Amino acid sequence: MCFKWAGAVLIVMATALWGNQQAVQMQRRVKQLEEFRLAMRLLMAEIGYTVTPLPRALEHVQNRLGDERVKQFFVEIVRQLGRPEVGDASLAWLRASEVSRGQLSLRADDWPLIMRAAAGLGGLGRESQLKQLEAVEIQLASHTASVAASCSRSERMWRYLGVLGGAALVIILL
Amino acid sequence: MLACPHKDIVVKLKMAKMEWKNQILPILPPRLQHIFAALSGQAAEELEEIRLRSGKALMIHSHRGESFVGLSGVTGSFSQAVIVTAAELQAVLLAVVEYSLYARDEELRRGYLALPGGHRAGFVGRVVSEESRVKLLRDISGISIRIARAVKGAGEALLPQLYCSRLQRVYHTLLVSAPQAGKTTMLRDLARLFSDGDPAKGRPGLKVGIVDERSELAGCYLGVPQLDVGMRSDVLDGCPKAEGMMMLVRSMSPQLLVTDELGRAEDARAVEEAVNTGASILATVHGHCLADLMKRPSIAYLLQQTLFERIIFLSRRRGPGTVEEIYGGETVKNRLKAEASGHVF
Repeated sequence: MCFKWAGAVLIVMATALWGNQQAVQMQRRVKQLEEFRLAMRLLMAEIGYTVTPLPRALEHVQNRLGDERVKQFFVEIVRQLGRPEVGDASLAWLRASEVSRGQLSLRADDWPLIMRAAAGLGGLGRESQLKQLEAVEIQLASHTASVAASCSRSERMWRYLGVLGGAALVIILL
Repeated sequence: MLACPHKDIVVKLKMAKMEWKNQILPILPPRLQHIFAALSGQAAEELEEIRLRSGKALMIHSHRGESFVGLSGVTGSFSQAVIVTAAELQAVLLAVVEYSLYARDEELRRGYLALPGGHRAGFVGRVVSEESRVKLLRDISGISIRIARAVKGAGEALLPQLYCSRLQRVYHTLLVSAPQAGKTTMLRDLARLFSDGDPAKGRPGLKVGIVDERSELAGCYLGVPQLDVGMRSDVLDGCPKAEGMMMLVRSMSPQLLVTDELGRAEDARAVEEAVNTGASILATVHGHCLADLMKRPSIAYLLQQTLFERIIFLSRRRGPGTVEEIYGGETVKNRLKAEASGHVF
């Protein structure tokens, strides 16, 4: 009997942990989307105000970011820019997106927005470049807001689901 | 004309031989990188210009003339020369602007970009204009990479003519030559010599202000001079000459103002104003002879005002930096008067 109860507790703990993990993942997704928004704004300042070339602008941006994985995304772009076969900033951004895809908590519907920033990157005049990044930032802002709203609803649901799912499993098994 | 003891002496241009490779190779695409990395001997030491034209043979220039370049180096035959592709030109452009056209679009609009080390890349292609002004340059079809060489000692022979020991100041001086005759090299070295000074010879170091509109004089990269312009030199990089001269006068109280390629009316006004503040002027202007200068209203005005106390004509007759003639300002004025009255001077 004692073993049964211990097993039941373990099942509930495991499913609660899984539910919690899902909730944390959602929070991380929102945080990373916000970090990307911040990165866009910082990049716009680097381009618009100090007119810093991309390799250094991207380094400055990553130095000011909080999320280690988003930071790594920008480190990867600079690394890609240094490779002779890459040859332009758009390609470097797209390659960095491919490399970082598995390391970030973003979902498939977030990536098209992130990748939109690659369009014309470094190949436009200052004003056009700023307009392009601003458009991405605006889209990212509305996307982040809708993800954050759905996240606050789903977050609680995942936590309950973890515990209740575990409890249901225990009842079935008992 | 003033005594010119060195008239027939070619200023010794001790070429900084291979330094250009460190700065130029990184901006070239892999194939051209390999070719120029392997370039050696006289061709590499005396290289002045690399010419890349889309679909055309790769060429280099030195003071000896032009040569074609093949996969194994300099070749006399056009048929063995490497043909440059449009993709390679685009790669050079992107590397020069550090993959950020927005950061250099102003310079590109003027047709050239400064490179690390003081070198310069000139571009041609399709011009897109707006309201009669160049808006952008696209579809690049040709690039000329000009190699800058700091030649220390190039200006030494001119010092006695340009420095007044009694007043401890530099005469207002104009260096005149056709392009590629060494006037920027000479100007840079004179700036260095006056900035460093030589107290043992009674020539203290001077505060030198350099307005380097085209980043050619000091070869600034990220605002830091890459070429030696002296220990007391302050450089305003990428700044329009007229504005820069006034900024320096107000902010850095220079004893000597140095700038390259005067030409516009506002440059002449700024020179006039700067002279009135007590700073000496050392500048260059394009031209072959006095008559050339007189065709340019702003320069003609400065000459008529006897503003320049020394006018030095350079050529590349015996190599870049050959000093042809040195005039005092009064001599020029008298000569102009004589010409105006129909006398042959």
